[in-house]
Amino acid sequence: MAAWDLSITVEDLGDEVPPVSLSVTSDLHVGGVILKLVEKTQIQRDWSDHALWWHQKQKWLLRTSWTLDKYGIHADARLLFLPQHKPLRLGLPNGATLRLCACFSNPVFQTVMGICRLLNIRHPEELSLLRPVEEKKKKKDKGSAEEILDLTTVPLSSASRPSLYNGMPAHFMGSPEMEAIYKMLSVPQPLPAPEVITKQYRPASVVDKAHIHGRWLDSSRCLMQQGIQDNDRLWLRFKYFAFYDIEPKYDPVRLTQLYEQARWAILLEDIDCTEEEMMLFAALQYHISKVSQSEPQTTASSAAMDDLDLALQSLEVKMEGEGSSASEMLDNMSAPELSDYLKIFRPKRLTLKGYKQYWFKFQDTGISYFKSKEESFGEPIQQINLKGCEVAPEVTMAAQKFLIRLLIPAPEGMSEVYLRCENEEQYARWMAACRLASKGKSLADSSFQSEIRGIRSFLAMQNTGSGCHGNAKASDESINTQSLVSPRYHKKYKTKQLAPRILDAYQNVGQLSLVDAVARFLQIWQALPDFGHSYVVVRFKGSRKDEVLGIAPNRLIRIDLGVGDVVKTWRYNNMKQWNVNWDIKQVAIEFEGNINIAFSCVTADCKIVHEFIGGYIFMSTRGRDSSDQLNQELFHKLTGGNEAL
Amino acid sequence: MDTANTSRPTMAQGWNAKMGRRSTLCAFLELCLGEMEDIDAMFSDLLGEMDLLTQSLEQEAAPPAPLPNANQEVNLSIGFTDLNESLKELEDNDLDALMADLVADLNATEEKLAAEIEGLKAPSPEPPPKDLGTRPPSSISSMSSNVSTPTSSTSSPLPPPQCAKPSMEEIEAQVKADKIKMALEKLKEAKVKKLVVKVRMNDGSSKTLMVDERQSVREVLDNLFEKTHCDCNVDWSLCETNPELQLERTFEDHENLVEPLLAWTRDTENQILFQEREEKYEVFKNPQMFYLWKKDKKTIKDMKDKDKEILIKENFCGTSIIVPDLEGVLHLKEDGKKSWKQRLFQLRASGIYYVPKGKTKSSRDLVCFVQFDNINVYYGKDFRAKYKSPTDFCFVLKHPQIQKDSEYIKYMCCDDAWTMNLWVTGIRVAKYGASLYDNYKVAEKKVVMGSVWAKCSIPSSSSPSTQNTLSSQVANGHSATHQSISKDNALPVPPPPPPPPPPANLGVPCPPPPPPLLAAKKSSKRAPQQRHLPTNFPPPPPAIVNLPPPPLEDTSEAPPDFLPPPPPAPGAGQLPPPPPPIKTLPPPINTFLPPPPPPINTIPPCIKTLLPLPPPPINTLPPPSFKAMDLPPPPPDPGFLPPPPLTGGLPPPPPPPPATSANPLRVPLKPSGSLKKVPPRPPKRTTPSLHGGGGEGGGGDFMSELMLAMQKKKHP
Repeated sequence: MAAWDLSITVEDLGDEVPPVSLSVTSDLHVGGVILKLVEKTQIQRDWSDHALWWHQKQKWLLRTSWTLDKYGIHADARLLFLPQHKPLRLGLPNGATLRLCACFSNPVFQTVMGICRLLNIRHPEELSLLRPVEEKKKKKDKGSAEEILDLTTVPLSSASRPSLYNGMPAHFMGSPEMEAIYKMLSVPQPLPAPEVITKQYRPASVVDKAHIHGRWLDSSRCLMQQGIQDNDRLWLRFKYFAFYDIEPKYDPVRLTQLYEQARWAILLEDIDCTEEEMMLFAALQYHISKVSQSEPQTTASSAAMDDLDLALQSLEVKMEGEGSSASEMLDNMSAPELSDYLKIFRPKRLTLKGYKQYWFKFQDTGISYFKSKEESFGEPIQQINLKGCEVAPEVTMAAQKFLIRLLIPAPEGMSEVYLRCENEEQYARWMAACRLASKGKSLADSSFQSEIRGIRSFLAMQNTGSGCHGNAKASDESINTQSLVSPRYHKKYKTKQLAPRILDAYQNVGQLSLVDAVARFLQIWQALPDFGHSYVVVRFKGSRKDEVLGIAPNRLIRIDLGVGDVVKTWRYNNMKQWNVNWDIKQVAIEFEGNINIAFSCVTADCKIVHEFIGGYIFMSTRGRDSSDQLNQELFHKLTGGNEAL
Repeated sequence: MDTANTSRPTMAQGWNAKMGRRSTLCAFLELCLGEMEDIDAMFSDLLGEMDLLTQSLEQEAAPPAPLPNANQEVNLSIGFTDLNESLKELEDNDLDALMADLVADLNATEEKLAAEIEGLKAPSPEPPPKDLGTRPPSSISSMSSNVSTPTSSTSSPLPPPQCAKPSMEEIEAQVKADKIKMALEKLKEAKVKKLVVKVRMNDGSSKTLMVDERQSVREVLDNLFEKTHCDCNVDWSLCETNPELQLERTFEDHENLVEPLLAWTRDTENQILFQEREEKYEVFKNPQMFYLWKKDKKTIKDMKDKDKEILIKENFCGTSIIVPDLEGVLHLKEDGKKSWKQRLFQLRASGIYYVPKGKTKSSRDLVCFVQFDNINVYYGKDFRAKYKSPTDFCFVLKHPQIQKDSEYIKYMCCDDAWTMNLWVTGIRVAKYGASLYDNYKVAEKKVVMGSVWAKCSIPSSSSPSTQNTLSSQVANGHSATHQSISKDNALPVPPPPPPPPPPANLGVPCPPPPPPLLAAKKSSKRAPQQRHLPTNFPPPPPAIVNLPPPPLEDTSEAPPDFLPPPPPAPGAGQLPPPPPPIKTLPPPINTFLPPPPPPINTIPPCIKTLLPLPPPPINTLPPPSFKAMDLPPPPPDPGFLPPPPLTGGLPPPPPPPPATSANPLRVPLKPSGSLKKVPPRPPKRTTPSLHGGGGEGGGGDFMSELMLAMQKKKHP
């Protein structure tokens, strides 16, 4: 067989070095070519990760046993010899950027699997990579200063799941730097400065959101094929909003990143919510950031168990003693006392009397008041049970006005009562007590002290807003409320107006542990009507105007572009088949009952739409077979299109 | 009157026991009211009185039992006034029910005690009151701990037989554990509130139950299932009505029953109903109607089961509960205004919102209308007349404590019934979230378990005495069906235990299914009542209506069984009204005297339910020692409760033939998996259940035995 010359560029030698020329025959297999090439370069090193890339055809020659003939390679082929794994700058959902080695030769689906293995994220099928939105050029100077955490030294293991020590993958052990990186991955980030939020790109309309979804990489092709170069920037994001089998014990990174993605989606108004919901999200963010900064990541649950055991033991001991112990125990369990002079006002009573001062005493879940302290052992003037009542603050720090507004239910309706406190300290205690009582808890409840602390810190927020005395409050209390809400609310409310609203929402979540708070945040996020919608601007067959296709975990939604109304929905479980005509770039779907729809995609390649639909169908098949293995083949079958394996 | 005659024999036979129970009950109720402090003294008093009473009753035992009763009261009236008073107030039904609960409690506790090493030899056949009186307080309260959770006993099978011979250490460990548990319970018990609650049945009759603070609606329902032998389907609900506001709502199974009742006012006319409510779990049976409500009718109707499952999975089994995305124009009346205005409302998980004028529907422009933390949703009745609403399909959002018309109540009006149901259900999903689905799953299990029990119960009767309680419980679940079955198959197998005394058989042998009852069932609830009540029940305590003291109100109960007992009327007329024994009760007496029965009855049908004891007394903690009595009643009443009326409430009428047919129906329901839940049973009766021929009423046996024993003890 005739020999011919094949020239191959070895990337590692640099651009100036001319391609190496090899004399080959067409029946030489690729492995042989590589062997010859390595010998010729005369460089001793580990070449095992290197492979040949055929530039014109944009493909890797990974089957080393295939002959050149079989690949169809002739002398005019431009081949490159380069490593399959290259560094990549990866933007995480939490905003941090990692530099790590990613596979450039396997389909992106597998590349993501590798990255997730490295980062200890389970269920990598839910994530994917997308091209980032271009940063605004004006701030270029700052962009270069961006901090990048380096993980390129970590070898990508092939083990399906990294072994964990102390809940941390082995490859993060060893150096403090690496442990810090893992902490960054697995613990929610501190609150961003309000400027950071304002500076970020915010999609202003559904069309803007649709453009973002046009940036997803193709899962069935490799990075090289999609024009990604080494050290390029990509975003790692959750793409399919069907989260399977979340388990806080195994998923610290996954949960944290999911939370971060959700949080930013809300801060940047990528998903719409109401004002009330925004305040609740704000309260949760505040709480999560506070708890995650203070709480070491030990398991809190075991402590609770220990307590229980202890309690049981001591009980047992007492049991064996004399029988009177029970009553003693009851005595010991009495609640802290709270009583003071406060002023009361009933706005609904048409009296002209203003605030009147009485001696107030908190008892169980109610308050009673007396003419004076001296008379507090007699019959109270009135007793008010606060269980089920609504408690609202009305505080003006500047005017030193501390009002607790109570709306107390009674058979005839709700009656309004205002309690006026003298100062911050008194207010915090009484407010906390009222809040607990409204939930049917007495002062004996363990949350009393933390409730007081929460109220104080929100008072402090109002202080910082008005810029008055910064009397040595702990640093974590000087949080800017604008870090917690989307920029829309920066304009709508002043900082000190936001604080009480957030505090109001905070009373329902202030007791949650970190894990529970994150879970609650995610739950509320998932309960939003627009949750999980990925948008694409499409044109339906037979229609003259652009419309929006919302792709949700369980259905497709046709949305009017102008008004935003939902026109129609189709559920996947009624879907019989879908086809893509790659030539005219049209997706055609058939549903049960002879419903056929077809559309072409405007803001995204139809491969992306195809992959979304197939992907969600794949997600819904998980868990049907008991094996925990990811069925890659099925995924590619459902999402691969004409490039299916 | 047919019914009356047929049921008479049973009544007569059970009478002795009943009287005994009565006295206990009265005492017990007084305690409830917190008016008696020295329990021991009172009990011994009562015991003496009771013996007298029962003896005299025995002599008269024969036919119209109630009448003699009236005479007796005359004899005994001296020094017995309290009891007489209370007796009158309480109807037999109530007594039966409450007593059954109490006896059941005792059984359970006795068994437990016997097992314990403490050496208390509990004479099981002893009459309950004596037990209570003689036992040291501590043991009684411990009993209470055992019994306190009725549901658990039914749902979780008792320990399987294997544990019969535990090692010494195990026993010791067990005892220790029990002690700890007991102590913990005691601590809690000290603060537990209890109410005597009257629940109105579909047929207009009513039952009186003891409900403690910790009991969920689910537990109360289970209790009622056992008492009524209804089919236990998931639609059975407890509903609260508020006649003044013309509202009603179904309690959710996970709610505690006592709490909402405490919000009722003293003079309330509110009632609790026990009925089937289709809409209660409709969202799980036909989720598409709520989650795909925008789709055309045909799609919704033809929805495949598989697709329904998917919908449930999507919306209830994920990390977050998804609320149906409701949006639409509703009419609203609020702030105490008279007019109705239209608004575009949207339901979200976080609350109900509306679109302000001139704004878009975008989330950020929505204005919050209500959040669900502090409000409940109610169906409104006949608002067109009351509030001039545009349609009659109204629902209401209000704080549960609000009982009267107020500006804080929000009235909503929908265009049609379906929309109303959509919103009310949607709001419930948003408010209760996962609990709703959990409730449904539990309720479904109940249905399945019910059918399993029907199978297993027969065999149980033969089990050794130690297991009696178990078997009786099991049997109780379905004693009606099961008995009828055994009747059919009775020939082959001789029932191991002595044939249960007639009372235990409940109305089975006699043709109990009073046709009137059935008819009544179908017709409106009240109508039947009126028919019967006037004739049978003389002095329904009309007074009750006005009077706060709850216990009195019981009179409203199911009349049919008692038809015979005209005594009350005569009694009332003849007897000088016993001086009001209980301080609080004076009013009742007055009302009592002028008992023109018929008019009264017709007027107050709704009034009857007075359930909630006057709040203050309730709140006071009952002395721990006496708690045993209050315990939430476990199961085994069927033996006692036989009176036909009860069965009448059930769909499958007691008569043998229908019952058998009913059984097959149930069997298919149970999925194979369900069998596992009743582990202990299977080994013995692997053979098809029916043949067990456990003799008549395997379930009832134990109880009837006990009753016999009690009687013997009293009249040796």
